[in-house]
Amino acid sequence: MKKTPLIIALISSAILLELLAVAGYNNIYAMQKFDPVKEPVFSKVFTAINDGIYPWDIFNAQKRSEEAKEAEDLREKEEAMKSKDQSGKIENEVLNVEDINVGNSDDLNPSPSASPTPTATPSPTPGPKYPQGRLEPLRESTYDEYINHISADIYGDTGVLRAAEYEFKKVGIEFFDDALFIGDSRTVGLRDYTELKDHADFLCETSLTIKKVFTSDFKGKGTVEKALAAKDYGKIYIMVGVNELGTGTTEDFIEDYANVVDTLHELEPEAKIIIMSIMNIDREKSTSDKIFNNSNILGRNNAIATLADNETIFYININEAVCDEDGFLRDDLRGDHLHLLGASNEIVVEYLKEHGV
Amino acid sequence: MISFADTGFLFRFLPVFMVVYFLVPAKYRNHILTLGSIVFYALGEGIFVVLLLGLIVVNYSFESASFRVRTHKGEDHIRKARLFYMITAVTINLAVLILFKGMAVFKDNTLLPLGLSFYIFKMISFQVDVYRHRIPRSTTLAQTAAYFSLFPQISQGPIMRFEEGCFDEEHSFSWENIEEGLRYFVIGFAMKVVLADRIGILWNDIGMYGYESISTPLAWLGAFAYSFELYFDFWGYSLMASGIMVALGFDFIRNFDHPYASGTVSEFYRRWHMTLGSFFRDYVYFPMGGSRCSSLRMCFNLMVVWLLTGLWHGNGWNFLIWGGVLGIIIVLEKLLYGKKLEQIPVLRSVYLVFVIVLSWVIFAIGDLNRLGVFFGRLFPFFGDSGVVNTSDIFEYIADYWWMFLICIVLCIPKVAVLYDKHKKSPVVTALLTVIFWIAVYFSVSTKGNPFMYLHF
Repeated sequence: MKKTPLIIALISSAILLELLAVAGYNNIYAMQKFDPVKEPVFSKVFTAINDGIYPWDIFNAQKRSEEAKEAEDLREKEEAMKSKDQSGKIENEVLNVEDINVGNSDDLNPSPSASPTPTATPSPTPGPKYPQGRLEPLRESTYDEYINHISADIYGDTGVLRAAEYEFKKVGIEFFDDALFIGDSRTVGLRDYTELKDHADFLCETSLTIKKVFTSDFKGKGTVEKALAAKDYGKIYIMVGVNELGTGTTEDFIEDYANVVDTLHELEPEAKIIIMSIMNIDREKSTSDKIFNNSNILGRNNAIATLADNETIFYININEAVCDEDGFLRDDLRGDHLHLLGASNEIVVEYLKEHGV
Repeated sequence: MISFADTGFLFRFLPVFMVVYFLVPAKYRNHILTLGSIVFYALGEGIFVVLLLGLIVVNYSFESASFRVRTHKGEDHIRKARLFYMITAVTINLAVLILFKGMAVFKDNTLLPLGLSFYIFKMISFQVDVYRHRIPRSTTLAQTAAYFSLFPQISQGPIMRFEEGCFDEEHSFSWENIEEGLRYFVIGFAMKVVLADRIGILWNDIGMYGYESISTPLAWLGAFAYSFELYFDFWGYSLMASGIMVALGFDFIRNFDHPYASGTVSEFYRRWHMTLGSFFRDYVYFPMGGSRCSSLRMCFNLMVVWLLTGLWHGNGWNFLIWGGVLGIIIVLEKLLYGKKLEQIPVLRSVYLVFVIVLSWVIFAIGDLNRLGVFFGRLFPFFGDSGVVNTSDIFEYIADYWWMFLICIVLCIPKVAVLYDKHKKSPVVTALLTVIFWIAVYFSVSTKGNPFMYLHF
């Protein structure tokens, strides 16, 4: 025994971790998925740390019930999707896909007959302050789409077409003097490599997701809420969405997005909110990656475009400026598969200047 | 599962294999080793396992034929017959390697079976060692198959020699061996998963907006990050492989010996990926005459070795340039300044680090245009693209400084001496336990794929 202290230490700590994982299996670790063929149960302990759940949370009754409830809700949601999927299959078979996707700017509320299934999921909070009303999805994401990480195009391009009706105006760079940009690494590029940094404020960081917009402190720069309290912004630009591709459904994403946009509007009622489309990916990655591809991005862009009311909230499709005719991020403009070259960010600035609100 | 850092390997394959390996009688352990290795390879590489099995049979047949040569026509005839078998076997092995490398270049990268370059080199060394009588007795199929397919070594080496494996001896069970092997394994595992995989993200990130836009300090930081990534990835993997071998009752195979403490590039490559270096030395450089010939011939020999080393490492032009540049530098060291430089303490280290780090940049960037741009940022003599973020380095330093610090500390040979002295102390054991679980955390939360951590 004295000669093998490391073996003893590793085996005993593994047993402790296994006991912990079993104790928290249906509560704090209920949301953690693991593959019993490839992983021991204690792998849940480690994946949970990634989600901010630490071993000592086993003693926290509130955390235990929260996680258990969340897992239960998720299970119910999956079950509901699964059963709807099965009952909706026959209807889907006779449905012409073009009927779903082709939008018409005159037809803001597609007739119920165009919908493959009744829209039972909560639509993104249509509020009275949006005169034109927020669009209802044409259909729901299916269970197959959900488990295969496909962001379903549940809105079609109606929102995009409606947003494009707005007559954007040409503006000078000083237009951005009272602008705040919120975004992920793509916005970091805009901040670091263009003249915008001398005019606008930026709250952006690599890996930002829509869920983190109000919780992130942007590496010490402060939260969005603080920034909005400290200064009156006339415009708030937001571009997020690439990092959460592959998580949740389009419905989950648009719900979070709508909450963020509504909260921004609440906090800064005078500000125009400009939703920038999620920038597409280059051909090589888009055609080979199951999650990071332009089809998934399209589904989510078509969803967030529906939030535009063309009075307070606007949607601009920057892919018009940086993509080729097939919708792929242009090879001559890209740094890696997902980002513009530092110098290419100027094209986005020009596009923003042509799309003043 | 083909990666040692994968949970499927760590917590499923390896423990099950170890139990089975030590439960069967010692005389069947080569069989179990072969069987386990074939399963391991098949799980990762699927159909290519057929190629491995085929090559095992072919190489074993030539070895057997070589030992069976009996004739009354004298020693010379025997030697010629053995030479014929050796040359034929080596040619077949090389042809397979060239064929698959060619297919990877001209058709599709996925056509290159994992570890082919490593196990083909083992096969070549085996055939030559049989011919040279370094393997004195005829082997069994189980021994040969175990040697070629050894799962700890099949994907990334070390390129162990057959006689180093002592396959004709019984590898007996010992808790001490397992403890010792586990120590190597834990250290290697942490080097790969905690250091190499994480610092590699910096290298990946700096290319995000194109090399044109990075500042010169960030270009240098990136070059160092890549150098550390490569070192700790490969050293870590070698330690994991050799650790498993030690636990199975084999001798430890050293593949790295603090190369960054070297004073010249030629010394660096005697201490870096040592089993590959010694392969080229014993099977290419020495047979060509080595350094026991005219200076011109020696230069030629060195250049051949280094161009082959470049080709062995990869398919792009950059690998050929990398090998060529290193060859030229080593020739210059031999002919001009190597001996003098070794005696100047600080200068030799600065020279070594400077040359090696720059050579890794060539190794890393396959696109020659991008390589040119990157060198333009390292040495901005001709200005920049006009769109450079001059303060970009601060964010990276804030995120990565501690990792650089650990990497630098681990490059100091005295740290290893200190570890050896205290490795059985409770403090070190506790430290290794914590390090192991930190590494498991990274491995589990990224599911063995460090690029899961890439965010945009």
